Amino acid sequence: MRRQALSHQGIVLHHRRTWTAVSLFTFASDHFLLLPIGASIAFVWANVAGESYFRLSQALAFMVNEVGMAFFFALIGQEIVEAVMPGGALHSWRRWGLPLVGAAGGIAGAAATYLVYVAVKHETLLIQAWPVACAVDIAISYYVLKLILPRSAILPFVLVLGIASNIVGVIVVAVRQPLVEAQAIGTIAVLLAIGLAMLLRAWRVPTFWPYLAICGTASWWAFYWMGIHPALAFLPIVALLPHEPRHLDPLAPPPDDDATHHFEHEWNHLVQVVLFFFGLVNAGVAVRGYDTGTWALLTAALVGRPLGVLFAVGVAVLLGLHRPPRVGWRHLVVAALATSSGFTFALFFATGLFPIGPVLQQITIGAVLTSVGIVITLAVAHLLGVGRWARRRHHTQHHPWPHVERPPSP
Amino acid sequence: MRRLLFAVVFVLAAAAVDGRQGAPLPAVADSVKFAVIGDNGTGDAPQYAVGQQMAAARAAFPFSFVLMLGDNLYGRQTPQDFVDKFERPYMPLLHAGVQFYASLGNHDDQSHRFYKPFNMNGERYYTFAKKNVRFVALDSNLLDSRQLAWIESVLKARDEGWTICYFHHPLYSNAGRHGSNVALRVALEPLLVRYGVDVVFSGHDHVYERLKPQKGITYFVEGSAGQLRKGDVKPGESTAAFFDTDQTFMLVEVAGDELRFEARSRTGHVVDSGTVRRAVENGTRGAL
Repeated sequence: MRRQALSHQGIVLHHRRTWTAVSLFTFASDHFLLLPIGASIAFVWANVAGESYFRLSQALAFMVNEVGMAFFFALIGQEIVEAVMPGGALHSWRRWGLPLVGAAGGIAGAAATYLVYVAVKHETLLIQAWPVACAVDIAISYYVLKLILPRSAILPFVLVLGIASNIVGVIVVAVRQPLVEAQAIGTIAVLLAIGLAMLLRAWRVPTFWPYLAICGTASWWAFYWMGIHPALAFLPIVALLPHEPRHLDPLAPPPDDDATHHFEHEWNHLVQVVLFFFGLVNAGVAVRGYDTGTWALLTAALVGRPLGVLFAVGVAVLLGLHRPPRVGWRHLVVAALATSSGFTFALFFATGLFPIGPVLQQITIGAVLTSVGIVITLAVAHLLGVGRWARRRHHTQHHPWPHVERPPSP
Repeated sequence: MRRLLFAVVFVLAAAAVDGRQGAPLPAVADSVKFAVIGDNGTGDAPQYAVGQQMAAARAAFPFSFVLMLGDNLYGRQTPQDFVDKFERPYMPLLHAGVQFYASLGNHDDQSHRFYKPFNMNGERYYTFAKKNVRFVALDSNLLDSRQLAWIESVLKARDEGWTICYFHHPLYSNAGRHGSNVALRVALEPLLVRYGVDVVFSGHDHVYERLKPQKGITYFVEGSAGQLRKGDVKPGESTAAFFDTDQTFMLVEVAGDELRFEARSRTGHVVDSGTVRRAVENGTRGAL
């Protein structure tokens, strides 16, 4: 009897532990915490027991960066497709004009700052890392801004700006030296993969797996052979997947309300695990590895890009483009700063551009350190009294900022 | 003061082991004789002084070529800079027909490989042989899979005899600013060990350091032929000898199964010397 009771207790405890582990994972996954956790572990590990860390990271690098990240980019692609569908958060093309101009300004500002910095230091080897300076971590910029300005029209603005900024880097990183002389075979394989995906779509296959397992695999090999970064291999397939428009938060885990979103929900968890390993494999670097590239990247991300965004948006507004509704210049300053963190995309571009070596190390440190942009953004928002801090002023002061936005009506 | 004491103890220890402190290298007629410089291309007075010492040393030790461990030119890299930071400091050597074999450092433009006096034949990494010594120059800035495959093919096909690798970033170093590059080590060291590389020369840290043999390979950091980071070495268990109070260059002689080396300061003093013996049969190598 007692034994039975104990075993029952044990089962309850076991269930409780399992539940706690699952809920912890879900929490971390839903809040994009797995990537920073992986990156933090990597950073500490690389500086405490470097040899074992680099042995593991170099062994896993291909699987994570070339295979696993294909799922990440597929999910990003899927989210963008759904966001621009009728009913999606970015459907209206009118919303794209100003952020695209801002992205162009940000790219120009970041790239110019970076290139001037390395030119002044005569470090020509670092020139090819300029796309890393243009990287914007879409999730970080979006959520930092959401923290400051929830439900503001600045959110889709930053989302479009982030996506557009990364396109340049993706294109540069995508093109590699072909592994074998198999351009023609690769092209045929991609076309076959797309054709098969179209057939599956015509047959109304509701689940994603056949698309990814058959068409995605064919596309991955084709990209690999053709010398295109295989992490981007699922993108031609993504447009043909079953889609449901996203009315809500474009980057939030999808609602588990139908078959398509249910799959995306699970896919999101898989991608978060991939991102954990991405952080673990790529963010580990010896502190002493910093050098000119680190400072050039930081200056470009924290100074060059925000200034470039603001300058371009300013010129565009002068020329007649409209700011998003209820978005003032102080909001734009905060939004521009929010795009300064390159983290995930910067790490991806860095690993795509550079092999193992000191150049990659100094760029990696710079990419990780661009996260300082989060703190700067919050501090500046506080200083300028934007968003959540504006409301506090409104309550505590007699004469609030005259042009501060009011909380959006439900 | 403590650092100076350390340096003196190391120098004396090296002298006691070798018993030839300050004595010239034997300069055997049929041996392979060369010099080693790293992080040299400043164009400043100390680089010129080192160049003069090298030329002076050549009278007694007629080395025929020089290994350059990277950072061959700092700052601007215009044609005039090649004159000021390379051709003029080493003019006596160049006029005497001494060949320079460069590797690329992080401050070097990749186009250096097309500069004829560097003898790189347009390659980032290359190999050449002198008698019974195979030299392998690597580009440690960008250790891509192609280069790794190339290294393996070269080391696999090497002849019997010495194999000496040189590149900019040290796999082992006890200097404070950069230190060991562990990521590079994890990628490169297994190949060096597997294929029996005997000696590795690197720069990057602006000091001179000789490491105790690591997995059978003797490592040297010679990154102070122009630059200098005074007092940067934090001697560790792996340190065999070091010198970080003045610029240095190295003289090396390979004769049979013995490699003799000297590290000399800008003033011509021998700050470290010794012998690395190659004993392939029982697989033991090491510096004495």
